[in-house]
Amino acid sequence: MKAVWQLWLQPCRQTTLIAVLVQLMWLGGAVALGLMPAMGNAAASGAAILFGGGTWLWFMMIGQCLRGLCRPESFLLPDFRRHLAWGGALELAQWVLLPTLAAAVLGAPHVWLAGTLILLLAAIGLASGTERYINLMIWGVFVLAGWKPGLASQIARAAAASPLTIPLLLLVAVLLVRLTLRSMLRIEDREADVSPLSNTQLGRSRMRPVDGRPARRGKLTKVITAWFDGTSQRAMESALARYRQRPSWRLRAVLVRRLLLPHDNPQAIALRLLLVAVIVSFYVIAVMHRQRFNAEIVGAYAILLCLSRFPQLGRGMRRMQPNLADLYLTLAPQTRADYQKTLIDALLILVPISVLSALAYTALGVVLVHATEPARMLVDAAIVAAPASLVALAVHLIGPEGTLGRSLVDIVVTLGAMAVYWGGYWLLGALGFALGGLVLVIVTMSFGLTVWVAAQREYQRRPPCFDAPLT
Amino acid sequence: MPVLDQESTLATDLARPPSTDTAPVVRVRALRKSFKKREVLCGIDWDVPAGRVIGLLGRNGAGKTTLLRCLLGLSPIDGGNVELFGEPMTEPGGERMHRIGFVPQTFDLFPWMKVRAYLDFTAAFYANWNHALTDRLLADWQLDPKQKIGELSQGQRQKLAIVRAIAPEPDLLVLDEPVASLDPQARRAFMGELLELMRQPGKTVIFSTHITADLERAEADITLLRDGAIQFTRPLAELRQRMRRVVLSRPGGWTEAPVVAGLLKATVKGGEAQLLVEDPSVESLHALAEREGAELRIETPTLEDLFVELA
Repeated sequence: MKAVWQLWLQPCRQTTLIAVLVQLMWLGGAVALGLMPAMGNAAASGAAILFGGGTWLWFMMIGQCLRGLCRPESFLLPDFRRHLAWGGALELAQWVLLPTLAAAVLGAPHVWLAGTLILLLAAIGLASGTERYINLMIWGVFVLAGWKPGLASQIARAAAASPLTIPLLLLVAVLLVRLTLRSMLRIEDREADVSPLSNTQLGRSRMRPVDGRPARRGKLTKVITAWFDGTSQRAMESALARYRQRPSWRLRAVLVRRLLLPHDNPQAIALRLLLVAVIVSFYVIAVMHRQRFNAEIVGAYAILLCLSRFPQLGRGMRRMQPNLADLYLTLAPQTRADYQKTLIDALLILVPISVLSALAYTALGVVLVHATEPARMLVDAAIVAAPASLVALAVHLIGPEGTLGRSLVDIVVTLGAMAVYWGGYWLLGALGFALGGLVLVIVTMSFGLTVWVAAQREYQRRPPCFDAPLT
Repeated sequence: MPVLDQESTLATDLARPPSTDTAPVVRVRALRKSFKKREVLCGIDWDVPAGRVIGLLGRNGAGKTTLLRCLLGLSPIDGGNVELFGEPMTEPGGERMHRIGFVPQTFDLFPWMKVRAYLDFTAAFYANWNHALTDRLLADWQLDPKQKIGELSQGQRQKLAIVRAIAPEPDLLVLDEPVASLDPQARRAFMGELLELMRQPGKTVIFSTHITADLERAEADITLLRDGAIQFTRPLAELRQRMRRVVLSRPGGWTEAPVVAGLLKATVKGGEAQLLVEDPSVESLHALAEREGAELRIETPTLEDLFVELA
C-alpha cells in the first residue's frame, strides 16, 4: 500500500501549488454543484466548469507525472504495473465514483450520464497529459464541432436521448485510457538528446523536457527535427569550409554561432517561418473559422511569439554550462572577458532573427485578419521588436538564476513588449509615421540599448561558469 | 578500525613532493574551494613537475574533479593561486589553453553534431592538430565519424573525448576518470596511446582514476587527495619500495594494534593486526613478533591496497 500511496502523492510532490489549486477548484465546483438545490440553477454552469475543469486538469497532471515516471528503469520495480493499477483505481474512486455516488444520494438527474462524462473527462485529461497525438485527435473533434456547430448540437441532443450514449462514452473513455497506457507502458529506446539551445519550437508554449525526463517524439516531430538537424549540419560544414579557406574573426564568430545556435541558420529560420505560417493559417482558417480578430492583438501576439525564443535560450545556456568548458578550451581566449564577449557576439544574432520573425508573423497576421493598416502594424513591429529582443536577451544573460525569477522576468518583459507595441501602434496613428516612428524609435531604442549595454558589461565582468546548474 | 595518532604526522611527512629539477607545469598554493558551506579543497599546495604521469587518487567526493577543474580555470576558486606553465591562471592566457588537453568525467556536448563535424570544428581553432592520429583512433576505436554525438554510448563518447583531447598533442593532459566507461580493450588501447604520448619529451599527464592498475602500468607518481588536502605525492616505485604491509597474527587476538616505527595505519581483524608501515625495520618487527608471541608476515602492498588503507 506504501507504493500506491507514493504513486498517489506524485502530482502533489512534483507541482504542489498547482495540485492544491486544482484540488480546491474541483472541491469548490463539487460543493457548488451539491448546493444547487439551494442556490438555484444560475450557478450551475460555473460550478460545472470548475468541477469539470478541476477533473480534467488533475488527470492531465497525473498524465504528465506518469510520463516522467514510466521509464524503463521504473518497470524493474517489483509489481510496478500492479501498483500503478491500484493507484489508478484509487484516483477513479476519488474523482469519478465518489462524486457520482454523492450525486445519486442527493437525487441529481442523469446521474449515470454525468458519471460517465466525468470518466470521459478524466480519460481526456490523462491523454492530454501524455500523448500529443491523442491530444490532437481530441482537438480535431472540437474543430469539427466548431466547423458545423448546428450538426454538432443536433448530434449532442440525439445522444442525450439515446440509451446507447452511456455505453458509447464508456467505450471511448476506455479506448482513450488504453491508448494512453499502451504508449506509456511500452519500453522504447531512448531518443538522442538535442542541443538545449536548438530551436525547433513552433509555438510559444512548447517546453523542453526537464529533470532528465526522456523526450518522446512522434513520427512527424522526428521528421521535422531531422530537417532542422540537416540544416544545422550543412550550415556548420559550409561555415567550416569558408573558415578553412580564409580564417578571420568574423568567420570564427560564425562558426561559434553555428555551434551554439544550430537551428538559427538561414535555412532553419526559413523552415521555421514556413511551418509557423502553415500552422497559424490552419488554426485561423480551419479552427477559428476566420472569426474577426483585432489586428492590434494579432500584432502583439506576433511580438510575443518572437520573444518566446529567449526564455529557451536562458534555460539552454544554463544546461549547456558544463559542456561549454570544451568550447572555452577550444577558443583559448586571452581573458575571461574575451570568452564572454565571444558568447555575446554569437548570441546577438538572435536580435535580427527575432525582428525578422516578428515582421514575418505580423505580415502573416495582416494577411489572415485582413488588417486595415498593414504598414502601421509592420512599422510598429519592426521598431518594437528590436529593443524588446535586446532587453529579453539582456535579462537572460544576467537575469535571475532561479526558475521562478526567470519566469517572472519573462512575463514582465513579454507583457511590457506587448504594451509597448500597443502604445507604439497608437503613437503611429496619432502622430503619423514620421514623427510617431521617430519618437517610438528614440524611446524604445534608447531604453533597449541602455539595458543591453549595461547587461553586456555585467556579463563580461562575470567569470564564466562551467558548473552544472544545481536545479 | 583504530587509526593511530602517528598517521597524521607521517602523512605530513609523506606530503613532501618528490624532488625534481624541472620547473613545475602546475603550481598550486593554498587553494581553497567551497560549494555553499561545504569546503571541498582546504588550502591545497601541490606541484606537478613536467614530464611525469600523476595519478590523482581519492575517494568519491574527495574533490578530485573540483581540483582538476580549478586548475584549468573551469571552476572559480575561493582562495589561493594556481599557476599553469609558470603563469597564474587568473586569466586563461590565450594559446596556453591549447597546450592543455582535458577529458571531463562526462562528455555529452553538442548531441546534434556528427563526430566528424565536431572534430573538424575543434581542429579549426588549433594551430597544431594531428589529423592522422585522429583518423587512426577513430578507425581503431570504431567510432563512426558520421554518427551523431547524441547517438553514441557513454563509452564511445568518452573515447571521442579522449581523441579530442590528445589530437592537439598537448603538453599537459588532464584526465578526469577517463576510462570509467571503457571496456577492457578500449582501456588498454587508451593506455597504449597515453604511454606513446608520454614518450615525447616534456609531456605531463594528470590522471584521476580509481583503476589503480592503469597507474601501475604508467609508472605514475601517486598523489592522494583526502579531507580536502593533498596527503602525499610520491613516485609509485618509491611507494612500492618503502611501503610494507605487516601482518602479526596470534591465536589470542589483539586488544589494540602494536605501535612500530613508520606506522601509517593499523587495523585489528580477529587474530590479526595489520599494519601499513613505511621503511619498516625487519629486525625490530621480528623482535616485536617474538615478544608478543605472534607470527609475522611482511607483504608488499599493491597500489589498490595502499589506496584502500590511506584514502
